[in-house]
Amino acid sequence: MSDTSRRKLLAVTGASVAAGTVGLAIGPAEAAEARRSGTSARESVVAYVHDHRSNEVRLMVGEREIVVHDRDLATRILNAAGGQ
Amino acid sequence: MSSHREAPEMAKDPVADSTDVYAFVSPDRPNTVTLIANYIPFQAPDGGPNFYEFGDDVAYDIHISNKGKGEADLTYRFLFHTKVRDDKTFLYNTGPINNIGDATWNRPQFYSVIRLKGGKAKTLAQHLPCPPVNIGPRSTPNYPHLAAQAVHTIGPRKVFAGQRADAFHVDLGSVFDLGTLRPFEHLHLIPSADAVGRNSLQAFNVHSIVLQVPISEVTRSGRRATDPSKPGSVIGVWSSASRRKSRMYDRSEGKYVGHGPWQQVSRLGNPLFNEVITPMALKDMWNSHSPKNDATFAKYVNHPELARLLPVLYPGVFPHLAAYHKSRADLNAILLTGIPSGVVPGFQNFTGTVESDMLRLNLAIPPASSPNSLGLIGGDAAGFPNGRRIGDDVVAIELRAVAGVTIPLVDPSFTPDAAAGVLTDGTTDTNGGTTATFPFLGNPGGGYQTEPGTTSVA
Repeated sequence: MSDTSRRKLLAVTGASVAAGTVGLAIGPAEAAEARRSGTSARESVVAYVHDHRSNEVRLMVGEREIVVHDRDLATRILNAAGGQ
Repeated sequence: MSSHREAPEMAKDPVADSTDVYAFVSPDRPNTVTLIANYIPFQAPDGGPNFYEFGDDVAYDIHISNKGKGEADLTYRFLFHTKVRDDKTFLYNTGPINNIGDATWNRPQFYSVIRLKGGKAKTLAQHLPCPPVNIGPRSTPNYPHLAAQAVHTIGPRKVFAGQRADAFHVDLGSVFDLGTLRPFEHLHLIPSADAVGRNSLQAFNVHSIVLQVPISEVTRSGRRATDPSKPGSVIGVWSSASRRKSRMYDRSEGKYVGHGPWQQVSRLGNPLFNEVITPMALKDMWNSHSPKNDATFAKYVNHPELARLLPVLYPGVFPHLAAYHKSRADLNAILLTGIPSGVVPGFQNFTGTVESDMLRLNLAIPPASSPNSLGLIGGDAAGFPNGRRIGDDVVAIELRAVAGVTIPLVDPSFTPDAAAGVLTDGTTDTNGGTTATFPFLGNPGGGYQTEPGTTSVA
């Protein structure tokens, strides 16, 4: 299984749980060249990694919470938090 | 109390702290129901220069359940925003505020009312002005006039949001000194001379949201309730407050900025439920739950800690209660399911078997012409635990219920101890006094008029 196919997103709204699975279009090799999609957030975003041993990243944007299961993204955030 | 600072984390967040909720058939318009949610406890009226106000970063909700599942079938949401008219002054007001639109009020607050139903949100009103707080005779010279200007009509509804006198009363200093009730202190494990109760909420204000809506708007059928025996005549009511799930301090704005969905941090149905039923370690978690999940907490209702403490704190006074070890089906009905038909003649407020902490109001029972502050246990079916009126003495009612006066309703073999029927903390509402018409809660005490520790009302 590739990193790309492991990536899943779960969107949670304030009023109800609206779950969906979305595959990201890019892999780690392309991360440095990532381009914004047409639906990318246009406002402040807070990213939250609750458990450094998991691959879960929670994104707070507007009145939504997006739960991303992405080992590569979690790893890059943890590395950045560690100064790398 | 009844839910002022009742949970450890919530005690640090007063702007989102639900303190009381009331629900009653309106005595001034009996085809409507009045719903009141109070927040922000222990407001000293002279607490300037930054006086109390609703949180712009809090969602304040009043929920209605009418399908018997402990879920919100209808929610009224109130979202606030403040404005600073003159950013060159430190003053809350730059002169007398004679009308709520006066430019001399430097920090006016406004709100929207949103109805959430069936997964859809409908904005009922926007930019409704609150009144200022009651500052004093020079700044708010005619406070009743200002408060009256803040009563708004939205179609068939009335709404008010602003500062009011706290009508709840309890002797906190006594109750939390090892369960002392001043009128009965000579009977306490550590005795002293009996004394009169002291209202710990004396002279304090709260912020109130008062909403009056047609009964037909809150019933499942969409019709006015007329038959008290019908299950559809009963609604469940509770309030809550929610904050955004993430808060970041934005230095450029000098304040916290919220991100993410609303997360409930406070709720309140029956008075004192989270205060004296839920263990301290679970209180903040309880606050984040929906009533539909309250079966988890039923064991604390069925075997309440306070019922075990009373015989210990008052030796020899509660022998029957001390010997009673059965599950408290009476409290379970009062607090978690409603009282089914056949328990109290001619009365029911049963909402089904889903255990959920809500005020339960039978809307087909008309307002009492001579209300009894002891509500149902005083023979007045229009009062608590049938909803809750402002004048209901819920401390005395719940003390007596926990002490066993309601056990015979479900277990006729039990005889309550003599003391159970007279328990009280000895307090009364010593604040602004209630009004006979909307918004029912009295005008808040004024800052200038306040002598700390005393009652003072403009």
